[in-house]
Amino acid sequence: MAVAGQECRDLWLSGRGPLLLFAFSLLLSAFTYLAATNQAINFLEQREAVNLTLQIAVAVGVLVTLLVSADGISGERERGTLEGLLLTPVSRRVLVLGKLAAALTVWFATFVVSVPYIWVLGRGVSVVGQALLLSLVIGTVLAVGLAALGLLVSGLSASNKVSIAVSFFILLALFAPTQLPGGLPKGWFGDVLGRLNPVGAGLHYPTAILVNGHDWTQDLNYLIAPGVLVVLAIVPLTLLSDRIVQLEPGSVR
Amino acid sequence: MRSRSWLASLAAVLALAPSAVWASPAAAGPGGDPLVITVEPARQSAVIGDRVTIRAQVTNRAATPTDPLIAHLNVASLTGTYVDLEDWTAGPTQQVAPIGAGASANLSWDIQAVNTGSFDVYVVLLPNGAGSAGAGPLVTGAPSHLTVAGRRTLNAGGSLPIVIAMPLLLGALALAVRLRRRRS
Repeated sequence: MAVAGQECRDLWLSGRGPLLLFAFSLLLSAFTYLAATNQAINFLEQREAVNLTLQIAVAVGVLVTLLVSADGISGERERGTLEGLLLTPVSRRVLVLGKLAAALTVWFATFVVSVPYIWVLGRGVSVVGQALLLSLVIGTVLAVGLAALGLLVSGLSASNKVSIAVSFFILLALFAPTQLPGGLPKGWFGDVLGRLNPVGAGLHYPTAILVNGHDWTQDLNYLIAPGVLVVLAIVPLTLLSDRIVQLEPGSVR
Repeated sequence: MRSRSWLASLAAVLALAPSAVWASPAAAGPGGDPLVITVEPARQSAVIGDRVTIRAQVTNRAATPTDPLIAHLNVASLTGTYVDLEDWTAGPTQQVAPIGAGASANLSWDIQAVNTGSFDVYVVLLPNGAGSAGAGPLVTGAPSHLTVAGRRTLNAGGSLPIVIAMPLLLGALALAVRLRRRRS
């Protein structure tokens, strides 16, 4: 808890966190205004606009969280602050979990910022509550999984540049398939790939509920991949914490 | 009296003749199979942007299996609205495997109502066998009637205060944190 508190102070009082939130709000403002004014986008209905804004908010919120966590260990190493952190009388596992908790505050902050945008687009069609709940649940699951993955990459990378580049590439690779035109015939293999991709499957779930009007239980299997991502990232992160939190990357204590 | 009733019967037959001619191709499907298409729901209303499901059941009433078929969904406006089928559905055409004697195949399309007005949505079956592809007659069933009402679009003016206030607020917060850090 103390480690998480210190990490949060470093993130938010250094000005890095507020600056990221400011950039995030600029992006959401531009997107919300386009969704509300552009005839090509808004001629359909508000549920589509709410879903599009939710997808952008979750995707960018998770991206920012991943980038913050990707800087977590390799960045401290390069700034020469990891040595001081290692002197803290806590285990390496607690250190990485504290860093994970601090990175997740970025996700929760982006979620709070997205609330008024989703509200202003969705008022009047009674989807705001549903959209916010979906955004919170799906976004939190994805953020936990990807932040843990970012910390793993950060600990194993030779430099901070490599860590951020690899993490960014992972997110792009996971996010790109969600931008394919929905009408393209995929076949069973494409369908399986879509369900295996945690970001694609996670973002599909709110669409199914908000836009297609599906029941909450109908597409639950799309949440398996995000859940598996959390387990696959958290377990190695905690098991390998002694190895990855080192002054030299890859060195064993 | 007798000749008068005979003439009346003849007149009735002649009056029905056009509908009998139109009904004939629907009863005799590709390859001469008596295929019947039942489309559901027969009638529904939606608001622009809504997604609606059109279900069709194709029944083969013949004693022999059909050739492979293609089922194509189409939307026709009854009010003169221009309909671009690609906007309504990305997959209007579905392959249908051969249907056994007396068996049925169930098909469904999720379409999105992107125009307001009154529309008939119908399904056409085309033969797609080695010998029957490109041949007729085609089979169609009764249409599903769809009425699409308009909807108030988003209020751009209502979003403006949030769109402006949020970055201003967060920008001021980021600036304040930065200035405080610089002073300390």
